[in-house]
Amino acid sequence: MKQLSEGAEAKIYLAKTAGTNVVIKNRIEKKYREKALDDSIRAARNRIEARILYKVSRAGVPAPRLIAASKHTIVMSWIDGRMLNKTRHTSKIMERAGEHLASLHNADISHGDYTPANLMVGKNEVYVIDFGLASITNSLEEKATDLLLMKRSTAKSAFRSFLKGYERKSRMHDEIVARLDDIERRARYQSRTLG
Amino acid sequence: MLVMGIESTAHTFGVGIVSDGKIIANEKEMYKIGTEGMIPSKVAEYHINNAPIVVERALKSAGVNLNEIEGIGYACGPGLGPCLQVGELTAKSIATRLGIKIAQVNHPVAHVEVARKHAKMKDPLVLYVSGGNSQILKTVRKPFLHYSVFGETMDIGVGNMLDNFARALKLNPAWGSTVAKTAENGKYVPLPYTVKGTEFSFTGLLTSATKHIGSESARDLCYSIQETAFAMLCEATERVMMLTNAKELCVCGGVGQSTRLKEMLAAMATSHNAKLGFAPNEFNADNGAMIAVVAEDMLRKGMSTKISECSINQRYRIDRAELAW
Repeated sequence: MKQLSEGAEAKIYLAKTAGTNVVIKNRIEKKYREKALDDSIRAARNRIEARILYKVSRAGVPAPRLIAASKHTIVMSWIDGRMLNKTRHTSKIMERAGEHLASLHNADISHGDYTPANLMVGKNEVYVIDFGLASITNSLEEKATDLLLMKRSTAKSAFRSFLKGYERKSRMHDEIVARLDDIERRARYQSRTLG
Repeated sequence: MLVMGIESTAHTFGVGIVSDGKIIANEKEMYKIGTEGMIPSKVAEYHINNAPIVVERALKSAGVNLNEIEGIGYACGPGLGPCLQVGELTAKSIATRLGIKIAQVNHPVAHVEVARKHAKMKDPLVLYVSGGNSQILKTVRKPFLHYSVFGETMDIGVGNMLDNFARALKLNPAWGSTVAKTAENGKYVPLPYTVKGTEFSFTGLLTSATKHIGSESARDLCYSIQETAFAMLCEATERVMMLTNAKELCVCGGVGQSTRLKEMLAAMATSHNAKLGFAPNEFNADNGAMIAVVAEDMLRKGMSTKISECSINQRYRIDRAELAW
């Protein structure tokens, strides 16, 4: 078993079972956090992520497949690709990323951390990973927040391509984009003229 | 260069003096917050009365005469409009009288820079936490060198949230450090925890904690609201740390005075072989010295403003301010 990476909340390992590669995500204890809070965050996120991975595959969005889950660990299929934040963002990739988010939202899944650091680019497809902060919800607020996170973490032109893809597939595009505007105005010291 | 800095963005009227990067005076008068918080016009009136006294005291403690001052800077935002105007006017009057250059300093930049210099860090990841702000920052060179925001509160600052809760509990003085004192030996009560990637929000936490007043003890609520809010800040900061591969973390701003927050951040940083740096509390609370430090750097780089063009900007975000490195 080889450690692939360490994120803010989990260690990711690559293992082989029955000849196929699988990814093991283990949510580690955070010593800085109050113990009761840490326990409840880790267990709740693990439970939600497992449930959502299952829902995501049914929504037809390319993502890791759920293989098994326990209290703080999830086993899922391995994806052959590169992280989007470490490769070039072509407009085609960004549009595809936008389409995927729209499909997730159409299925009432909000990702919670939809940024280039949680998208992988394979040979012919863009994959969505890390559903650790996701939720099953029809809330406009949560969905618009997904757009906000992408907007904050990409260049203006990349976000425009992303929105194009999003608009193509989303069933609630106008309402969600209007809410995005609302959220941005809410923040303290946010200039209303910010582009 | 002998430079004076003036701070008046919120409750503190501060005057600091630096001499070639060395802080030689840091004097202040702070508006006494009762149980009602800050009323901008009352705070501004307080600053007007104190401005000449604090300037005089800073000069005396530095052992210099007013006419030896070679440059001046003032915090031009973000902050409370009426308060900012007092600092602006004080700086302009002194600059006019002495015929010296004036620099408009971004208040958050000053907090970051004074802490970064104290921690002897070159280009760290920064967590800036105060009443109005809660931001995770790292320098970006384009379109000009500035602190770019990698994560921040989607509504109010963590300090503002704690102050609000202190008022709801009728603590006196109604602010975060009283919440910290009340929290000692508390037990954890579950409260909403809202982190969305590298962004976070505090109003849900505040509303929920306020609703528990009466059914849970003030001690347990203070403990839980603080633990929850600080854990959120740590998690979002940790995520940016992983994304940027930073090995140095610097915490600053009023809430950076919290021992518990520093303890949590240090534990988090150590687990990634990173170091945590911070300034003494005197410089995390609002103060004039930090404004003087940045003003000197700016004036050396020729980043001064004509007196006729000086103004204030209540919404002056840190990512709009060019750094004088």
